[in-house]
Amino acid sequence: MSFSSQMKRGKKYPDALKDKFGTAVILEETYQTPEQLTITVDRNNLPDVVTELYYGHNGWLSNMIGNDERSINGCYALYYILSMEGNQNPQDNMWVTVKTLIPENDPQFPSVTPRVPAAVWYEREVRDMFGLEPEGIPDARRLVLPDDWPDNLYPLRKDAMDYRYRPESVEEKYDFIEVEGEGIVEVPLGPLHITSDEPGHFRLFVDGEYIVDADYRLFYIHRGMEKTAENRMDYDQVNFLAERVCGICGYTHSVAYSAAVESANGIEVPLRAQYIRTILLEVERLHSHFLNLGLAAHLVGFDSGFMHFFRVREKAMKMAEILTGGRKTYGMNLVGGVRRDILKEERDQILRLITELRKELDELLDILINTPNFLMRTRGVGKLERDVARDFSPVGPNMRGSGYARDNRADHPFAAYDRVPWEVVSKDGCDVLSRELVRAGELYQAFNIIERCLQEMPPGPILVEGFSYKPYTYALGATEAPRGENVHWVMTGDNQKLYRWRARAATYNNWPSLRYMFRGNAISDAPLIVASLDPCYSCTERVTVVDVRKKNVKTVSYNELENYCRERKYSPLKL
Amino acid sequence: MFKLLKKALQVGEATVEYPFKPLEVAPGFRGKPIYNFQQCIACGACAIACPANAITMDYNLEKGIKSWKVFYGRCIFCGRCEEVCPTGAITLSPDFELAATAKEDLYCKADFRLTRCHLCGEYFVPAKELEYILAALEQAGQPGSASHITRQVMEVCPQCKRRQGIKTAVKSLPRAVGQQQGRG
Repeated sequence: MSFSSQMKRGKKYPDALKDKFGTAVILEETYQTPEQLTITVDRNNLPDVVTELYYGHNGWLSNMIGNDERSINGCYALYYILSMEGNQNPQDNMWVTVKTLIPENDPQFPSVTPRVPAAVWYEREVRDMFGLEPEGIPDARRLVLPDDWPDNLYPLRKDAMDYRYRPESVEEKYDFIEVEGEGIVEVPLGPLHITSDEPGHFRLFVDGEYIVDADYRLFYIHRGMEKTAENRMDYDQVNFLAERVCGICGYTHSVAYSAAVESANGIEVPLRAQYIRTILLEVERLHSHFLNLGLAAHLVGFDSGFMHFFRVREKAMKMAEILTGGRKTYGMNLVGGVRRDILKEERDQILRLITELRKELDELLDILINTPNFLMRTRGVGKLERDVARDFSPVGPNMRGSGYARDNRADHPFAAYDRVPWEVVSKDGCDVLSRELVRAGELYQAFNIIERCLQEMPPGPILVEGFSYKPYTYALGATEAPRGENVHWVMTGDNQKLYRWRARAATYNNWPSLRYMFRGNAISDAPLIVASLDPCYSCTERVTVVDVRKKNVKTVSYNELENYCRERKYSPLKL
Repeated sequence: MFKLLKKALQVGEATVEYPFKPLEVAPGFRGKPIYNFQQCIACGACAIACPANAITMDYNLEKGIKSWKVFYGRCIFCGRCEEVCPTGAITLSPDFELAATAKEDLYCKADFRLTRCHLCGEYFVPAKELEYILAALEQAGQPGSASHITRQVMEVCPQCKRRQGIKTAVKSLPRAVGQQQGRG
C-alpha cells in the first residue's frame, strides 16, 4: 500500500484491547487504508473483542462478512466491521474490522448476538450462506434462504453449486414467533402479491387495536447477486449490478462498491470525479426524500400533499436526467472515477432547478407541518428508543430521528463531503415525525452541497485508467444513502473477478429494530411506521393479524390496512 | 388548507399530455442503442463489456457465421457498448419508446462471415475484423509489401498457432514468406 505509517489511525483501539485482554488477544494487525484496520483474533475471543469495541469504545456494527477462504488459507473467515465513531476529532474515527478464521473441519463460532444484538441478522445469514454455526445465537431460524432450500447446501461456499443452480421447490414452512397471552391477535402482512414491487411477510400480534409484538420474514426475492458477481462479472460490470441492489438509491451502492475496490487496490480517484459523485449522491437523496415525505403525507390521508411532493420531486428527476442521461442516477460509475463530465450548461440548469426546488420545498413543508392531522398522526408514533437504537445499530434518518447524529458523510468522509460545508441533521423525538423532519432538513443540506460542489468543482480528469488489480486484497467502501449507510466489502480474485463481494444495504440494519418500534402502537399506524423507515418501500403488502385473546388468525390485504391507516375508519379486523 | 388550494391554483396542470404530445428528453439521454451493421466488425467488445448480457455473440462454425445479437428486453441503457466499440458501430439514441407486442420485435441481429484458418481449414475469425486489423496496421505505417505476409500469419487460427508454435506456423507458410519473416 502506498500510505505511510504516520497516516495510520486508531492505534488506541488495538492498544485498549491489549490492555484489557492481554497482548496475545490480537494475532495480527493490518491496515487496508489509513482508516481501515483489520485485527485478527481467535474465534473464542470474538464475542469479547466485538463487545468491547462496540460498547466500550463507541463502535457500531456496520457489516459482517463470511468468506470461504479455504483455497487461500484452508479456513473460513468472518469479518465483523465496526464503525468507530464519536471521537472529539473526527479525524480519529475509523473502521475496525475484527477478523477470525474458522477451520474447515469445525465450522462453528461463538455467537456475538447475545452480547451485541445488532449481529443477529448477519450471523443468521452467514449460517445460511456458509454453514458456519453461531453457537448460542438466540434466533437460529433461517434468514436469507427459503425454507424449502436443501439442507447442507450453502450457496456461497466456493464448491457448493453453480450460480445458475435452482433447487426444486417444496412447500414452505417457517416458524414465526408465537406470542401467547390473553387477547392477542396475529396479523399476517405479506408475503407475496403480484402487483407489489417487493415482498415481505409481517406478522403483527395485536391486543385489540394495539400491537404487542411483531415478527417478519423477508428475503423472498433474494437475487443471489453476490454469487453472480463472483462467477460471471468483471470488476467494472459489477458497478452496474450494484446499482440494481435498490431501485431508488442505486447510485450509492455503485459508489460504495467502487470505493471498496479502489481502497483495496490503492487506486486514487481524481478530485473532479469525487465532486461529481458527491453531486449525484445528493441528487439521489433529493428524489428519495421527496418521495418519502410524499408517502408520509399519503399515509396520514393527506393525498393532495402527496401529489404536490411528487410534482416537485419531478424536478429532482429532471436533474438526474440532465446529469446522467437517465431519470435515475444510473450508469455513471466505473472503478477509478465517473464516465460523464458535467458541462457548464448543465451546471447552470441544475443551479436553476435548485433555486426553484428550495422555494417549492419551503411552501410544501409549511403546508404539511400546518396540517393538524399530520402532526397528530406522527408525533410519538413508532418510537425507536435510544437504548434499542444503541443495541441494534440502525442507520440513516431512522437513527438520526432518535438523537444520534450518526452520518457516514461526517463520520467517515468520502467523495467530496469533507470539502464543502454542511451539517448533520438530527432530532430527539425518536418518532415518525422526527424522522420525517430529519429528511426535510437533509433536503436543504443537499441543496447546499450540490450548489457548493457545482461552484467549486476543480477541473481535471474524471477517470483514471491503467491500474492493475492486486489479487486477494480486501477493503470496504461506505456511503450514506438516503436510508442510511451502505457498506460494501470486496476481496479481489486472481482471475479479473471478485473473490467475494458483500453488499449491505441500509435497510438491512434497520429491520431488526422495527419489532421494537411497532410495540405499543395502534395497528392503523403500522404502515406509517414501516414507511418512516423508508425501507425500499412496499415490503409490506399483506398482514397477518393474530388475536391473542380470541386465538384467531386473519390475513388482511395491504390495501385494506393502508386504507385503514389513512382513513382510520372501517377497521379491517372488525369486518 | 387554503394555502394548498392557492398553491394548486397557482401551479395549474402539472402533467403533460404524453403520449398525445411528444415528450422532450434532455440532450445526452441514454435510450435505445442503435446499431450500424456497416460499421461493425464483429469483434465482440460490446458483448464482453455488456453488464446485463443483453448483447451476445454466437459462433456457428459449421456454417462459418458469427452472429451478433442485442435483446432490448435485457438492456439497461448504460452505454458501455458505445464506450468500448472501436468503430462507432453502436450508439445510444434518445428513443425510449421500446414497448413491443411480440418478444421477437425486441431483438436486433446481424450475421458475419467467418474466414477459414489457413492451416486446418476451420472457420475462426470474422472476415471484417481481419480486414479492419490489416487496414489498421497499414494506417500505423506497416509497409505495403509486408501486408500479405501479415495476412497469412493472421489467417492461422489460435489452435493451430498453439499446436505448432509460432515458428512452425511461419515455417509451414510458403517459402518466400518464411524468409521475409526471418529477415524482419
